[in-house]
Amino acid sequence: MPSRRSRRPCTPMNIGILAGKQNRDGGWPYLRGSSWTEPTAYAVLALLAAGETEPARRGLRWILAIQRPDGGWPPQAGVDWSTWVTALVALLPPEHLGARAHARAIAWLLEATGRESTMTYRLREWLLGNPRPPEQEFPGWPWIPDAAAWVAPTSLAVLALDKEYRRRPLPAIRDRIDSGRRFLLARMCHEGGWNYGSAGALGYESRPYPETTGMALAALRGVRSPRTERALTLAQRFLGECRSADALNWLRLGLLAHGQLPAGYCHPLEIADRTLPDTSLGLLVAEAAKGRDSFLA
Amino acid sequence: MPRTLTSTGLTDESVCPTLVPILTRRECLAVAAGTALLTGCGQVRPIVPSTVSIARAPAYDQRIYETVRRMLEEHRLEVRGQNVVLKPNLVEFEPDCCINTHPLLVHAASEAFRAMGAASVRIAEGPGHRRNTLDLADAAGYFKTVPRFEDVFVDLNLDDVSRVRPTRQFSSLGTLYLPNTALGADLLVSMPKMKTHHWVAATLSMKNLFGVVPGGIYGWPKNALHWAGIHESIADLHAAFPRQFAIVDGIVGMEGNGPIQGTPKHVGVLVAGRDPAAVDATCCRIMRIEPLKIEYLRLASGGESHITEPSILQIGESLSAVATPFELIPEFRWVRMEDS
Repeated sequence: MPSRRSRRPCTPMNIGILAGKQNRDGGWPYLRGSSWTEPTAYAVLALLAAGETEPARRGLRWILAIQRPDGGWPPQAGVDWSTWVTALVALLPPEHLGARAHARAIAWLLEATGRESTMTYRLREWLLGNPRPPEQEFPGWPWIPDAAAWVAPTSLAVLALDKEYRRRPLPAIRDRIDSGRRFLLARMCHEGGWNYGSAGALGYESRPYPETTGMALAALRGVRSPRTERALTLAQRFLGECRSADALNWLRLGLLAHGQLPAGYCHPLEIADRTLPDTSLGLLVAEAAKGRDSFLA
Repeated sequence: MPRTLTSTGLTDESVCPTLVPILTRRECLAVAAGTALLTGCGQVRPIVPSTVSIARAPAYDQRIYETVRRMLEEHRLEVRGQNVVLKPNLVEFEPDCCINTHPLLVHAASEAFRAMGAASVRIAEGPGHRRNTLDLADAAGYFKTVPRFEDVFVDLNLDDVSRVRPTRQFSSLGTLYLPNTALGADLLVSMPKMKTHHWVAATLSMKNLFGVVPGGIYGWPKNALHWAGIHESIADLHAAFPRQFAIVDGIVGMEGNGPIQGTPKHVGVLVAGRDPAAVDATCCRIMRIEPLKIEYLRLASGGESHITEPSILQIGESLSAVATPFELIPEFRWVRMEDS
């Protein structure tokens, strides 16, 4: 179903806005204030895609300076644990990030799982006689260590590993991509699409959200099934109704991954970017729509 | 079932007669546990009751401005020159009135604190599972209701953080990264919705503080708090913010499978006070939930936090005049007050 928003000419976003918001330390804030890993990784990806190498280089220096000894990245300098943002850093081209830092990021991702997939947890549940819920059969990725896996960090980790697999088709990478995708499919809501977590709790069904539906569809690139078709139908509907730049960016990426973004679709001007990652992601989506997808290569 | 409170080794007889002779046995145990923690086995200090006010507010209309102003005056809050942070509960993209704290109430509180001379009044929230906070606030009606909303709002999920260790700790979290906007407030005003909750039975002003835990550090949802113990984490957060006030939006609450999928419940009240535990205990009694069966309330009680009826000085409407049983999911029917 083509969106009613697809007939207006597109206005290109200004990469200069992004470069102008760079902090002195080389990183980017979400809006203002200290530098964080997430907005910095997205900004660097967008700047590299636009050929703006100088601010990107300063951003990369900031990122490299806060890599943790375990190979992962904290959400912000000074935080004592590596988190989901490692997947975003792993999306940065190794020729810019550095081969060693990139390889350690991929290794960290391959090791990370939700707490419910660890041997200790499963043994404990087995000893307590608790059956394993079907949705916990496949390991996904958590936001932070020692917590459960969720749809968004799992989708981002699959995107990063899928990009890596196109460079290095190793079985270990393929296996984690497969299990991550199975994790997502097992958590699809009854009506199609994804909530942030389970498809239901305590006997109640969860409702799908636009942003997580877009993310999961992006991670399920190449997976064709009646279930993904149902999710794509819902994503098309969300695209016409949604009032959030973040959600629209992910819906567009998700639909693009399956070749189903309506031709000529433009981000509605009246929907404002709320954060710098919204702006960066919007630029990346625009590039992806032109065939230069930073999530792929 | 609830955790026992008898692990302090104190008996109710050894403590209660000195305190408040009209306590029930269960209330005595709760008070004994809390008091012993603070005083070191047996040294009993007299309780200074927490004042909690209940005001009728039949609808979200202009009368709410006067009602809130009057409630704050009753509590004799001194906020002149201080930085006040209002923390509503924003959960879902719903314009309907039973999930999110109503924006009219938040604006009324903002106006009242400004009129009382506060140097600044900001609104701050870090939703638990939707990342696009400003879009969520927009959908909940905040942009329409609060003039220049973006200028006064802080997304606590993305705020700069400091690492702190709560003064009393109940969970396994250890230190916590918390947002500077909330930590730096002279007065943090928790403004929850009166709702049932499918993990902790009732979500009120104390549970509302999950929204100050930054998603930027802990993720969406803030799942680390669940693994560390939800009740214990709520009690930790209560201890981390000693300068609080609570205003509960009980005009239309939520019953059943809260905090998202329940059904609207009209109560027509606002409940307020300086002691969030006392405010929440009072809300529970309005909802006909036994507060002593709510683990986080029992953990937090003690010192200046009170949950027993005799230790709460209640003003305004009487409990009996406004109490109305909230529907509970089967897993929590055991927390009902026995006479409900």
